[in-house]
Amino acid sequence: MATVRIPRQKVILCGDYGVGKSSLFRRFTNNTFVSESDRKSTLGLDHIDREYKVGDKQIKLQLWDTGGMERVASVTSSYYKFAEGAILVFALDNAASFHSLSQHLLDIVTYAENAKIFICGNKSDLEGREPEVSDEEVEAFCEQCHTLISATYKTSCKIGEGIDEMFQDISRQLVQANRSKMELHALEQKSFQIDTASEPEINEEGTSCSC
Amino acid sequence: MNEEYDAIVLGTGLKECILSGMLSVSGKKVLHIDRNKYYGGESASITPLEELFQRYGLEAPGERFGRGRDWNVDLIPKFLMANGQLVKLLIHTGVTRYLEFKSIEGSYVYKGGKIAKVPVDQKEALASDLMGMFEKRRFRNFLIYVQDFREDDPKTWKDFDPTKSNMQGLYDKFGLDKNTQDFTGHALALFRDDEYLNEPAVNTIRRIKLYSDSLARYGKSPYLYPMYGLGELPQGFARLSAIYGGTYMLDKPIDEIVLGEGGKVVGVRSGDEIAKCKQVYCDPSYVTDKVRKRGKVIRCICILDHPIASTKDALSTQIIIPQKQVGRKSDIYVSLVSSTHQVASKGWFVGMVSTTVETENPEIEIKPGLDLLEPIAQKFVTISDYLEPIDDGADSQIFISESYDATTHFETTCLDVLNIFKRGTGETFDFSKIKHELGDEEQ
Ligand SMILES: Cc1cc2nc3c(=O)[nH]c(=O)nc-3n(C[C@H](O)[C@H](O)[C@H](O)COP(=O)(O)OP(=O)(O)OC[C@H]3O[C@@H](n4cnc5c(N)ncnc54)[C@H](O)[C@@H]3O)c2cc1C
Ligand SMILES: Nc1nc2c(ncn2[C@@H]2O[C@H](COP(=O)(O)OP(=O)(O)O)[C@@H](O)[C@H]2O)c(=O)[nH]1
Ligand SMILES: [Mg+2]
Repeated sequence: MATVRIPRQKVILCGDYGVGKSSLFRRFTNNTFVSESDRKSTLGLDHIDREYKVGDKQIKLQLWDTGGMERVASVTSSYYKFAEGAILVFALDNAASFHSLSQHLLDIVTYAENAKIFICGNKSDLEGREPEVSDEEVEAFCEQCHTLISATYKTSCKIGEGIDEMFQDISRQLVQANRSKMELHALEQKSFQIDTASEPEINEEGTSCSC
Repeated sequence: MNEEYDAIVLGTGLKECILSGMLSVSGKKVLHIDRNKYYGGESASITPLEELFQRYGLEAPGERFGRGRDWNVDLIPKFLMANGQLVKLLIHTGVTRYLEFKSIEGSYVYKGGKIAKVPVDQKEALASDLMGMFEKRRFRNFLIYVQDFREDDPKTWKDFDPTKSNMQGLYDKFGLDKNTQDFTGHALALFRDDEYLNEPAVNTIRRIKLYSDSLARYGKSPYLYPMYGLGELPQGFARLSAIYGGTYMLDKPIDEIVLGEGGKVVGVRSGDEIAKCKQVYCDPSYVTDKVRKRGKVIRCICILDHPIASTKDALSTQIIIPQKQVGRKSDIYVSLVSSTHQVASKGWFVGMVSTTVETENPEIEIKPGLDLLEPIAQKFVTISDYLEPIDDGADSQIFISESYDATTHFETTCLDVLNIFKRGTGETFDFSKIKHELGDEEQ
């Protein structure tokens, strides 16, 4: 099983309920969109990997959705652990969702301090009708956050605009930021995930299990 | 909240979160409530460090222990057996995908005031300073017997019926002395007291096999520990429950469990809201009139700036002090984790000493454990009641978990959970119900 390991980067979606996180997740997963009626159809699947090419480098983005926990309770802090990137999502037609970004930002810097943070204004297809959040406001917010925000994007899950560009750019930024860090991390951690594949390892003498 | 649910789960401790996950996966409509603002209840890992000091009514520690946010301190110390029930549950539910683990580096046993590595294979047994020369050979023969033992093949039983004869009989058959019996029963089979000696030997054989199979999985020791602390475990199961439709509410006080005809539960009240339900699953703290005390557990969290002496500077360890070594009826457990698990800031260690309380002065009881950890920078002592439900919940449909016991692993925790699930649903949990593509990354 000596395949070349493509580095995997965990990227989490954060933001208020209803801004379109699951819709972004669905676009990322199988490039589909669903409206109001059957929002809950991503049964059982809450994170997924996709490979992106950045120059001559391959990178695997592992995108995570909240699973709807933010509806009434808060998202567990473990959701943030090990995240290399976080996308703060708000809806362009919903000023309240923009104003709560600072709260979500606080959670990210608390629980995932090393994550690169991106802002995504979603539902750009509605923008013309009700421009509740302007570009200037977003810019002002980024300025307040000093250098915390790496980039901002605009997307529409409905018409499928800006989404692939966003993930492509996030991949590029993560490759750049993490080139040396990823290698260091792999050396330092020595931690592992348990899975069914990890059969008991027998050591050379075959005595590891001799009681 | 004003809806109807199949089950309402109260408390987000590990047991309740596993139950909530299992119920949601089985297609039940679940509402999961905690009175606290955070997930985990008693099985939370407390962060930042200031929060821990506050919890124990102590003044904030200032800069001394580094950055408070780097700490995630468990209130209840436990390790996972690599081949145990909890790991099986994690694998089958896919919750393992949310977690990363490290092996515990060493497993030690206390003898005559000193600690020695627990020997688990023939080579280690022969090198161990726990036993004399002849005893080593007898112990080696015993290990080989256990290794070759197959429950379904009486030929491997070698003229000894382990289902009828007791463990004392098996020790005697191999001529093992009291000391060897002591560490075998307590450090390998992980019994808390000596009652097992009079029970069928097969129970003990199974447990020694669990220990060695666990050891075989990741080397070093049979124990695993999650990065960022045990509090990650309930959160993982809570997430499982949520993605299968479970609804979460935190920071919600519960004022009443509403009973209907025949004392059967019909709902849960918070303020003037009532959520209707057919069943309630909860920890003892939500139903103080339906539980009784079966004993007490003392736990002492210790902050250290050094590893434990004579453990080759291990960054994580477990030490078992068998009861007889210190003239007690139950064992004392010592565990150590450190900054390498993201539970302490750099250079710091978190030790924990725990045992079942036997006297009026429990703090003196744990002294042999504390002595191993000295010098200790800061101690936090908790003495808590061990509570169990007064009935099985069949009539009231209120299913109550037992408090967390003094053992240092999760085997009893999982047994309680599987047992409650069975009492509540009348079914044994069907692992195949869980979709295996749950975020499958290995294409
Ligand atoms: C990424 C993600 C985001 C989510 N976001 C939200 C959210 O924003 N809001 C929210 O309320 N919930 C959310 N959920 C929860 C999730 O959608 C729940 O599964 C859903 O709420 C269950 O709803 P239900 O009771 O209507 O469906 P169910 O009645 O449980 O099931 C609906 C259909 O799916 C079938 N089904 C059920 N379980 C399985 C299974 N294990 N395998 C195959 N088929 C099955 C059923 O037979 C039925 O036909 C999210 C989950 C994920 C993974
Ligand atoms: N018009 C429009 N609606 C969207 C867009 N993205 C999501 N929605 C809708 O917004 C609602 C909430 O989306 P969802 O992805 O469930 O939000 P989440 O709670 O953040 O996961 C759904 O009804 C979606 O159909 C978009 O780009 N444009
Ligand atoms: Mg969603």
